[in-house]
Amino acid sequence: MTETAVETTGPGDDDGPASGAARRSRRDLALLVMPGAVLVLLLLALSTRNPDLLSPDSLLAIADSAAPLMVLAIGVTVVILCGGIDLSIAALAALSSVLFAMWIPLFGAAAAVPVIAVAALAGAVQGLVHVKAKVNSFIVTLGGLALWSGIALVISGARTVPVSDVDAIRWAFTTVAGLPSAVLIALGAVVVLGSVLRLTPAGRWVRAVGHAEQAARLAGIPVGAVKVAAFTTSGACAGLAGVLLVARTFSGAPSLGATLLLPAVAAVVVGGTAITGGFGGIGRTVIGALIVIVLRVGLSLIGVDAGFESIIYGVLIIGAVAVTIDRTKLDVLK
Amino acid sequence: MAGDTTPHAPTRSLEPAPLADAPAPGAGGGNGDAPGTTSGRARATRSADVVQTRASLIALAVLVVVFAAISPQFRTVGNLQQIIDAAAVLAVLATGITFVLLLGAIDLSLPGVIGACAMTVSLLVANSRNTQDLGLLGIGLTILLGAGFGLLSGVLSTRLRIPTFMTTLGMSAIGLGIATILFAGVRPVVLDEGLGAWAAHRIGGFTVMSLLAVAAVALGWAIQRWTRIGRYAAAIGGAEDIVLLSGVPVARYKTLAFGVAGAFYGLGAVMLTARLGSGVVEAGAGTDFAAITAAVIGGTLLSGGRGGVLQSMIGVLALTVLANGLILTGVSPYVQQAVQGVIVVLAVAVATWPVRRRLGVVK
Repeated sequence: MTETAVETTGPGDDDGPASGAARRSRRDLALLVMPGAVLVLLLLALSTRNPDLLSPDSLLAIADSAAPLMVLAIGVTVVILCGGIDLSIAALAALSSVLFAMWIPLFGAAAAVPVIAVAALAGAVQGLVHVKAKVNSFIVTLGGLALWSGIALVISGARTVPVSDVDAIRWAFTTVAGLPSAVLIALGAVVVLGSVLRLTPAGRWVRAVGHAEQAARLAGIPVGAVKVAAFTTSGACAGLAGVLLVARTFSGAPSLGATLLLPAVAAVVVGGTAITGGFGGIGRTVIGALIVIVLRVGLSLIGVDAGFESIIYGVLIIGAVAVTIDRTKLDVLK
Repeated sequence: MAGDTTPHAPTRSLEPAPLADAPAPGAGGGNGDAPGTTSGRARATRSADVVQTRASLIALAVLVVVFAAISPQFRTVGNLQQIIDAAAVLAVLATGITFVLLLGAIDLSLPGVIGACAMTVSLLVANSRNTQDLGLLGIGLTILLGAGFGLLSGVLSTRLRIPTFMTTLGMSAIGLGIATILFAGVRPVVLDEGLGAWAAHRIGGFTVMSLLAVAAVALGWAIQRWTRIGRYAAAIGGAEDIVLLSGVPVARYKTLAFGVAGAFYGLGAVMLTARLGSGVVEAGAGTDFAAITAAVIGGTLLSGGRGGVLQSMIGVLALTVLANGLILTGVSPYVQQAVQGVIVVLAVAVATWPVRRRLGVVK
């Protein structure tokens, strides 16, 4: 079965005329190098402003603050690789943060497990509705966004829920061997998800579904199951991100997620994953998340108005999508 | 609540045309107003439209009856006025987004566009922050700014060839950024008496704002029915490739439809500012969702080409009655948000359920 799946790592796809293939491989090469180059350039440019930025401590601090965003973004990457979108991740992370803060008195440090399970279940429900009722993924998850944030507001009474027992979440904000544990958790999530996508057929299936769904179906790939699994993964990652957010703020808040959707989507597309599906990967999103965070740190370093941060996210999303999108797959653009 | 799903059931018994290949461009108005084409499929589509509209009307009627039965407060003339007043802003926004949905596109830019327009109008009319006092001119400029945002979304989508939900998501962030910069930490309180009267002054029991909203909806309906922007928007949503082959400059008319939508968002932002009494960055939070929900439950399909301004208005009234009734029966406003989330997915699922087997790849 894996033989029939689309080649995932090679830069040149072997369909289309020669000039088209050459153009596409150039595009792929550019997409491979650009995000990393942008990140390095950004760091160097900012370090001329503030040389301390490149010190290990400040780099670790940047990585630490990037952890929740990174976890959120790698989850939605899987959905985008399938050719869908998950707009509910930030709301689901907010709901998870509220649940985590509320469940600590019940479960202690283990509260993270039921929280992530609930978030995964929420993702699975969205995936099932998308697959079974054939409703566009963005409309399902837009509905999910309203539903999850509504639930978060109701159960928290629209208030911030403080963590009653700080010791129960110490594991998520301590340091292990000099590294912040949040960074290790995020890296762990990246490694687990990355190796599942690379070492098992799952990665080929996901990319095949995103690249050419009909062909994937004919090749015998369980398209529906792959999509549901992608949304479940996205939900679970949102749950973990919510837990990490609680460890940063010592509270769960229903409004926590409102500001996270745009940076997370920006991280995915800036990393070079195509919104049309089939092209990209977890590693790219890690770089994308770092770019977004470094940009945020840099903007506050230069001292620009917070409003510009939002404008830059908007421009980044539109610009990066324009560069990475695979227009050969769009006959009619909606 | 149960009333929102069941009335859609009649659509199942009928066999509507596949959503992807809706009617010929001429019949795209979808209001049953093109008697020239009498092919079987056009008739089937039109009757499917009628069924959809009837289903939405029944849903609205069921909601009204249920809440009138539960809550004595609901059945008062005062409450009817309240519902109309509460629906005013959403009606204008839903009129705008209908043009985008007719194209088969989507618009998530409302929070940003409305935020930027709300700050702009509150800084252009007499206010507590600066010495501007442009009055009506300021309101006009704000509507133009909204149209500018819409045109920009349209140009970016058609020229860069990006899916509209991504362009408009980015545009929303840009608008919110501009609004935050204009806000600059100090809330501008609107001192302009003319704008203040929009929310306070009543004519025949209804606020000025409600009457303006009715006029705006009528204008939107006229644009949809009698101008090329409206006719082509529905045609493009019905069958873009055919419209393109007929020599219509599709990109231009898509952009114009986004521009019209943006102008309505601008007017909506002015109305919101009049209601709030000051410029608020988050004035448009959640409006994208409410407007899409209203349009969809009214029968303006997300697949494009079907529905229209008047259908969307049924959805606006249904949503407003639902919100009003839930408040009167003592349900938390946060529950409403969750309920809306479920309703929009259900409405879309119900609308596409009969033809789901024939839908190809759904992203």
